[in-house]
Amino acid sequence: MINISQSDIDEFENEVLQHIDSVCRAAMALCRERQEAEDLVQTTFLKAMERFGTFKKGTNGKAWLLQIVRNTWIDRLRHQRVIGTTVRIEDIQLAERPAAEESVWSNACDLLENFSDEQVINALQELPDEQRLTLFLVDVERLSLRDVAEITGVAVGTVKSRSGRARSQLKSKLATHAKELGLTGR
Amino acid sequence: MTHLTDEQLEDILQGSIPEPEHVGNCRVCRDRLIEQAALRERLTSAFAPVRAGDALRERIGRDLRRAASPAESKSGDAGRGHWSRWAWPVAAVAAAAVMVFTLAGIYLATSEDASAAQAELVKIHQHNLSSEPSVHFYTDADPENISHYLKTQLGFQPALPRLGQGMSLRGCCLAHFRGQMVGSYVVNTPKGVISIIVVTDPPKTLGMSRTFEHDRQTFWAGSFAKSHMVAVKFGRFTYCAVGETSASHDMLTDILSRLVHPKP
Repeated sequence: MINISQSDIDEFENEVLQHIDSVCRAAMALCRERQEAEDLVQTTFLKAMERFGTFKKGTNGKAWLLQIVRNTWIDRLRHQRVIGTTVRIEDIQLAERPAAEESVWSNACDLLENFSDEQVINALQELPDEQRLTLFLVDVERLSLRDVAEITGVAVGTVKSRSGRARSQLKSKLATHAKELGLTGR
Repeated sequence: MTHLTDEQLEDILQGSIPEPEHVGNCRVCRDRLIEQAALRERLTSAFAPVRAGDALRERIGRDLRRAASPAESKSGDAGRGHWSRWAWPVAAVAAAAVMVFTLAGIYLATSEDASAAQAELVKIHQHNLSSEPSVHFYTDADPENISHYLKTQLGFQPALPRLGQGMSLRGCCLAHFRGQMVGSYVVNTPKGVISIIVVTDPPKTLGMSRTFEHDRQTFWAGSFAKSHMVAVKFGRFTYCAVGETSASHDMLTDILSRLVHPKP
């Protein structure tokens, strides 16, 4: 029993629970299976409840919660590596590799509108783990670079370079799909 | 001409620095900036429709209500009125319904003693069950090898139970519990497979509601997600035995009673 008082619940709701949609988006960005994503959301809130005593009132509740998402997800990846379930080794190898040189799209906005939301999310899910998380936090949740650095445990400079590389890789993935759809090279 | 670095580009996108004059004069940098901004916007819009569904909100609300103390849970109207602000249209109906949620193979319609700690312990056990012994390095029935492996990974040798009476070791693995790396090992018993998870947290913090004395030691017992668990403090660590419901609390207690201090 965690033994949370009613006032704690009120505070939890005000500070943390309001960010449930952000947690869902993060889980969707990180997990490839819907059920796995829902499991991650639920576990995140269980942990958040349990650790709510460590939350400093007035600080960024969303960032605190997303850090729990990240840690829970990392734990799972590590666990999967330990017990030998499917882990994409290329994720690790690609993580710090610079993106391949790509030409700049001349009509980026128009081109991007040709992709469905699902295709864009799928392309993000194909990125290496830390790039995926960083880009999600920077571009989707629009957290400050400092917050992202704290959540991901790296320097602000690393967040900048990582998000730039991630965007380039995302573009590469989408460019491949665009070619398949006949949207480029005409 | 020196083009913008990736870091400068990122700062401009973030609005941390104003767009330098160079961007206006350099088509390469201008196009890069437009492209990166377009990707950023498209990514944002792709996720915009993603929202937590009612079922998920209800599930989390259920967890939170259960996490509240019994006194609070029973206090009735005040709490319920508050929850209604959470706008769960089905809450009243759902509260009366017996709802079973299967997530990652775990039954999460939890007992009153559900807690995040117990959920994590059960998950570790579930992962242990899902591993395939034949293909993993950590699979070993030899207590010495398991001790050695865990010592190299964790820095200490956990106690192992005296075997016999149809019990044997299956293997061990590392896991994360409350953000800490912990060790667990798996014991085959006539009543099913048991995970022994070794944590540094005191037993009383693990959410197990029942305490009892056995062999002059205090044990904690609980149930969560179709699993039984018993914990005991042994040396510096807490040993948690987790098994399916076929493994009774008595049996788990018996296994924990068989723990012997490792050889120095």
